Amino acid sequence: MTGQTPERIGARTTLQKLLSRFHFGITLFAVALSGLTILLAGVSALRGYADRNMELAAQLGAYGVEPALVFNDPQAAREGLEPLTRIPGIARLRVLNDRGQPLTQWTSPMADPAPLLTRMFFPRPFAVTVERNGSAIGTIEVWGDSSTLIDYVRIGLLAGLGCLLITALGTIFLARRFEYELVKPLNEIATVAHDVRLHRRFDKRVKPLGIAELDRLGGDINALLDELQGWQGNMESERALLAHRASHDTLTAMPNRDAFDEQLAQRIAAADARGERFALLFIDADNFKVANDSFGHAAGDAVLVALSACIKDTLRKGDFAARIGGDEFIVIVDPLDADTVPGDLAKHIRACVAQPIVLPGGETYRASVSVGGAVYPDDGSDATALLTAADAAMYADKLSNRSRV
Amino acid sequence: MLASLFLIGASLTTPQMSAQAASQTIVEDSEDGMARAVNRMVGGIVSYARWPDESPDAARVMCVIGTPRLTNRMAPDVPGAGSVLVRRLSAATVTGRSDCDILFLGRMAMADRRQLIAWVRGRPILTITDDDAACIYGAMFCLSNRAASLSFSVNLDAIGRGPLRIDPRVLSIGRSAGGPT
Repeated sequence: MTGQTPERIGARTTLQKLLSRFHFGITLFAVALSGLTILLAGVSALRGYADRNMELAAQLGAYGVEPALVFNDPQAAREGLEPLTRIPGIARLRVLNDRGQPLTQWTSPMADPAPLLTRMFFPRPFAVTVERNGSAIGTIEVWGDSSTLIDYVRIGLLAGLGCLLITALGTIFLARRFEYELVKPLNEIATVAHDVRLHRRFDKRVKPLGIAELDRLGGDINALLDELQGWQGNMESERALLAHRASHDTLTAMPNRDAFDEQLAQRIAAADARGERFALLFIDADNFKVANDSFGHAAGDAVLVALSACIKDTLRKGDFAARIGGDEFIVIVDPLDADTVPGDLAKHIRACVAQPIVLPGGETYRASVSVGGAVYPDDGSDATALLTAADAAMYADKLSNRSRV
Repeated sequence: MLASLFLIGASLTTPQMSAQAASQTIVEDSEDGMARAVNRMVGGIVSYARWPDESPDAARVMCVIGTPRLTNRMAPDVPGAGSVLVRRLSAATVTGRSDCDILFLGRMAMADRRQLIAWVRGRPILTITDDDAACIYGAMFCLSNRAASLSFSVNLDAIGRGPLRIDPRVLSIGRSAGGPT
């Protein structure tokens, strides 16, 4: 189906590609937006937890080092800090006495996995004042590091990548679906239009597509095609009528001179190819001008119609008769076989014509005709020679008729 | 409470454990420095002791018996609220009174010490001495100065026998710092 419509693609983009790009954009935007939201929410929540964790650690440390501060005992302070050193995510601890002098400090042996993250999350140490019975006796300071955050960041990045993958797959799926749902019906319409334009298939119609807008378009196209089909039909019958008029005589409804010339050329070619023979009968009404003058043109017409009816009656299947002049007719007797004698045909026509014709004025008229024959290829090998021979034979016949009268 | 029960059990099974050496407070090298260090240490110990009468900020009466070895200027420095009144008494008069919350046992006759320790048993009285570096004669806390530093030890047996409650953090300082000697 797509192969039939190459001009659809060209330098322009296809609807499917457009939709696919559109979908990808929207989906990416949605994923990015939600991802960013979740990331921000996660980071702020994580930051809250990390802060809380540090605060709890500092409180725990404050509780642990309180007696050490009371007794000004560095070793006890170290022991008081000991539980804190096992908490992950603490980089450094320091205990200051009430005069601000350090009593003890501890630094984690682990390297900070991401100093940037640490600077972002823990720019300052958490300091908790150690109190004893309501008076400050010292301070404990806790520095966090990124070792607990790095996992979250790693998982977050992985999840982000996963989301992108799902987005891409989802977009492909949606685009396919859209192709099926939208592009296929559109293609169907395009195919119909294409068929109509290229192959003049005005009988083609767009089938119902199940999408309201496209169905409306399809309906309009179908209506247009109905009209086109109507015009096409009218045009064809008009043309046939014109062609008939051009090749036929309006009075007798017989082929005219032009049609006869064409027919004769064809017959000659066919007979030549097959080595057959055919005969030409030239028929001319006798004293037609006199009848015309004395009874009027309407009577002349009636005589001509009667003559043509007689000629048509004698025709066999395959024969061809034409009116080539005012009162001149020609019959092609083809094929000319052993049984067919042109003289018999001429006699038959004469007998028919000899019947009285009732004229429009009520009078009766007896017509007579002169008939001359010629045989192809005996009497002439081309149309002119044949016609001349037949014409000559007809005149000879006319002369003998006059002498008879 | 459980902790103290455990401590009692532990002290009964391993008598050597009962006396613990402890905390080393750095002491400035002067008469004043030692007095300040002792008063601070005593005040700290007092602040971590809980009497059964449930009034943590009440002023405590410390009766000093005998001659303190470390300093004569006895004025315990209790951190935050709370204070200690110091009275000097003889061993004989102490047992007749009932207002002593703390007994500070200086240098004195062994018989007097033994009598006082026996009298204290079961009473809510905190006993501190500075004349028993090994902490084996029955005082709850024993101060000693070793190598330019002041330290204290805890006698868990003595603490376990009395109704006083001592903050376990202090006990752990007293217990873990030096280890059994």
